[in-house]
Amino acid sequence: MTAMPELTIAIAKGRLQDDALNLFRRVGISIADESLVSRKLLVIDSSGLFSFLLVKPADVPVYVEYGVADLGVCGRDVLMESSADVHEPLDLGFGRCRLVVAGKPDVTALGYDPVVTARVATKYPRVAADYFQRRGVPVEIIMLSGSVELASVLGLAGCIVDLVETGRTLQDNGLVVIDTIAWSTARLIVNRASYHLKRAAVAGIINSLRAVITQRDPETIVA
Amino acid sequence: MSSSLARIPPGVQYIFDAEVKLRRRIERTVMSVFEGWSYSEIILPIFDYADLFALGMGKEQAEMTYRFTGQDGKLLALRPEMTSLVARTVATRFRQRKPPIRLSYSGEVFRWNEPRNGRQYEFHQIGLEHIGSQRLEADTEVLVVAVEVLREVGLKDFTITLGHVGFFNGIVERLSLDENQRREMRELIDRKENDQLDNFLKPFTDAATRTSFCRLTTLVGKREVIQEARALVSNSTSSSAVDDLENVYKIAEEIGIDGHIDIDLGDAAGLDYYTGLTFKIFAAGLGSALGRGGRYDQLLSNFGVPAPAVGFSICLDWLAGLLASKADGKLIPDPRERTMLEAGSDLVATFRQASKLRAAGKAVEIT
Repeated sequence: MTAMPELTIAIAKGRLQDDALNLFRRVGISIADESLVSRKLLVIDSSGLFSFLLVKPADVPVYVEYGVADLGVCGRDVLMESSADVHEPLDLGFGRCRLVVAGKPDVTALGYDPVVTARVATKYPRVAADYFQRRGVPVEIIMLSGSVELASVLGLAGCIVDLVETGRTLQDNGLVVIDTIAWSTARLIVNRASYHLKRAAVAGIINSLRAVITQRDPETIVA
Repeated sequence: MSSSLARIPPGVQYIFDAEVKLRRRIERTVMSVFEGWSYSEIILPIFDYADLFALGMGKEQAEMTYRFTGQDGKLLALRPEMTSLVARTVATRFRQRKPPIRLSYSGEVFRWNEPRNGRQYEFHQIGLEHIGSQRLEADTEVLVVAVEVLREVGLKDFTITLGHVGFFNGIVERLSLDENQRREMRELIDRKENDQLDNFLKPFTDAATRTSFCRLTTLVGKREVIQEARALVSNSTSSSAVDDLENVYKIAEEIGIDGHIDIDLGDAAGLDYYTGLTFKIFAAGLGSALGRGGRYDQLLSNFGVPAPAVGFSICLDWLAGLLASKADGKLIPDPRERTMLEAGSDLVATFRQASKLRAAGKAVEIT
């Protein structure tokens, strides 16, 4: 039997996956292309020291919080929604986008009426509820799992809370941004126990990733 | 009918068979270690006045309790933790006793808090409180007892991280932060969000201070951490915190438990509650801290009797889960051999024989 991998790293599939794997490649941790195209969910890197889990973005903080994965890469948006109890030592800089409240232009002009319940469609129920409650606006959350814009277009909800990268989808559907809740970038998260129990290996990765990130042209980080 | 009978409310559990045996054995082992260090067990009520817990743990924590109204119309709460109950007892009933007072407890606590990481709304805490001494030997004692407990129950791969709130407070005192800002900063430090921390500090201090501050929050390790911390801070509060850490760590080295202990200067989680040394227990296979403890010199004065105190607790549910998954754990109960007795027609004979076997210490099962 070969040596067990030292660390398990959960990567959010989709939007952030390529950038995340590229970043690890730059610090010498790479997984073979054939492993990526296969449907395997758990792949070992070429050194045999790291295993990667490719999971849905929202599951990354879950795997890391429970310690099934020691490290994870996912967006800040996902972390805000999950409120997972993990360390978040590195802003990886890529995958920049923002969580916004959006709606039709007439909704924007009216603003929120603090005595009328706001109907909000979103994939981020916790973040959305928190945003409106903080402003004293009663809120009804409609949880959707995709194409949230449609809810506003068809009048299912007065506004939506969603992630916006370029703003194209909003624009194409005649919606405008009402407010930015938060900016989001990809983050490295670390399980609290692994941070201590596998200190040398975890610190090694954090430091080499940090070194690579700070080398990068600052314009790609600062919007 | 049958489906509603089978339904269990979320957050509670029924435990049986081997798991019960394991839990009881762990509990006995831990409590006997406590007794060996002269901690006497205190049995506490399952519920008490809700105000009491707000006084002990702060309003925010007290809001997570299960509350109900007593016959006298007063608001009661299921205990969300044990320390407030212990503190109140010491403040009201043990005033004449000569300090230090050493007390231990074991029992279920109840929190209306999203179940995380396998912890339910109801979970079992075992812990101790050392009250009335502000000397470092009290902190050291609690730490040493914690290590013995973990070793006794058969845990091998564990780390206790040692921190000190004074270290952090010494630095923060010089920044003029309001309460909300302090909380925000503490959260950033707790999550080790260094980039955000640096950003957050920009309005308050210069770049050099920020850099060393961010460095400090990630300082984790053995003795070398102490040296580095000394090089980075000069204020007296922080320096005396480092002295405390060094003195405790030195003892840990001398008695050979330093392998299990890491110094973590970035531990800012319990800053409202703890006043001195703090520690957290991490074990391989568990995603979050198995237990925690530290010095809380402020709490007793909330109950009208200022007294220094230090204590720690561990979560039995997590400990049992960990040990159950380790086949080599020495607490795995061995199946006891039992004698099967057929009830037959002569019940007198059967029970006479059963009693004889029982008197000889044998296990019996009447079929």
